Amino acid sequence: MAKPRRSRRPRTTLIILVVASITIITLDARGGLGRITSGVRSVATDAFSPIRSGVDDIVEPIGSFLAGSVHYGAVRQQNQKLQNEINSLKSQTQQAQQNEQQLKQLTALLHLPFVGNLTTVPAEVTDYNSSNFAATIDISVGRADGVQLNMPVVTGAGLVGQVVQVAHHSATVRLITDGASSVGVLYGSPSAFASANGQGAGKPLDVDLVPSGTPLTHGELFETSGLNGASFPASIPVGTVLEAKTGLTASEETVTLQPLADLTRLRYVSVILWGPSS
Amino acid sequence: MNARDAAKVTLVVFLFITVQQTLMLEVRIGGVHPDIMILLPVAAGIVGGPGRGASMGFGSGLVADLFLPTPFGLSALVATLIGFAVGLATVALDRSSWWLPVVSAIFSSAVYVLVYALLGSILGEPQMLHVDLTRIVVLVAAVNAVLAVPAVRLVGWALPEASTEGMPTSTSTLGVH
Repeated sequence: MAKPRRSRRPRTTLIILVVASITIITLDARGGLGRITSGVRSVATDAFSPIRSGVDDIVEPIGSFLAGSVHYGAVRQQNQKLQNEINSLKSQTQQAQQNEQQLKQLTALLHLPFVGNLTTVPAEVTDYNSSNFAATIDISVGRADGVQLNMPVVTGAGLVGQVVQVAHHSATVRLITDGASSVGVLYGSPSAFASANGQGAGKPLDVDLVPSGTPLTHGELFETSGLNGASFPASIPVGTVLEAKTGLTASEETVTLQPLADLTRLRYVSVILWGPSS
Repeated sequence: MNARDAAKVTLVVFLFITVQQTLMLEVRIGGVHPDIMILLPVAAGIVGGPGRGASMGFGSGLVADLFLPTPFGLSALVATLIGFAVGLATVALDRSSWWLPVVSAIFSSAVYVLVYALLGSILGEPQMLHVDLTRIVVLVAAVNAVLAVPAVRLVGWALPEASTEGMPTSTSTLGVH
């Protein structure tokens, strides 16, 4: 009886590529490929920066036009009621308010009370979440500005995150709300140590290691611990207590923190030129 | 594949990653953005069969990994599997039918997102399972369904003529011995 045979070539291709992928993942995770992948990623990001900003310049006006089309009816009604001069003044006022807001954010970055003598580099936030699976931002400074891996990033309000990828003129920052983020924090008096962990973009931080029965009040401040080997310098405000509950039999309190920095509307941030070995 | 075909494939991959890194990152619904890179192995699987689907998945996945904060090589691994699976699943179907790219894109996008999150969590990124997977699946699948037909045309232009790889290739003698 005749038996149909399938070509083995595609299966061989699959096996080779799967093995290659697993090898790359393993080597990268163990640091064997770390420098190579980091370098290639850096080159790719640098190469794409001008393309991305060029396309953004084209796309933004189109997006504004489409948004205006959607609200055409409302805009028309408004135009009937308002004179052109008033519209113009309103627009100017809004622009002035935006500028004032930006100025406030930038001024706050120039006077960061919690960084002490540490050097900071101001940066503009250029993008949010390049992956659907991680809470990150892209910023406009990179190696050329002295930024290196693992450096802390802050706003005038408090901690934002940590640099996880660096290119020549840009960097990616993992936000403290990202599920892979963990920050050593101190709270109370006398100070006690805990760990604030991210739970995903837009969600509060979950705090571990707070013993059951610890008296915590709503709004109580948690700051970075700066303990030996910590990923962040000491005394950077992280968040305030949103909720603290103790289960009947639990040995730890369930504590959630509201990050002090507004991580959903970041325009400007500062990178602290500090590493764990500093 | 000759140098001309390789240049065409490179051009298509470059076009996709450019659109992904510019236009698609601007489109956000509930904090989620589309991911069109998975269309490349899907289209290659439909146009060229499982081997080419897997190869395209590996190449385009590595390119996508360059711009992601998730483990390097993870997109390549999942896209390789998806490209092969699509090529294998569609090998006996009429590859010229209009609905095939659309259905393949929807199904593959959903599988890709779920497998990507699962493997990522196994590889030390447990938070990848704690995102709103339903929202990501719906948005990625919907956008890819819309773009599936042009993606297949583009990849069809780049790859050499449709292959019959993966199909039964020969039969032994039919006569009486």
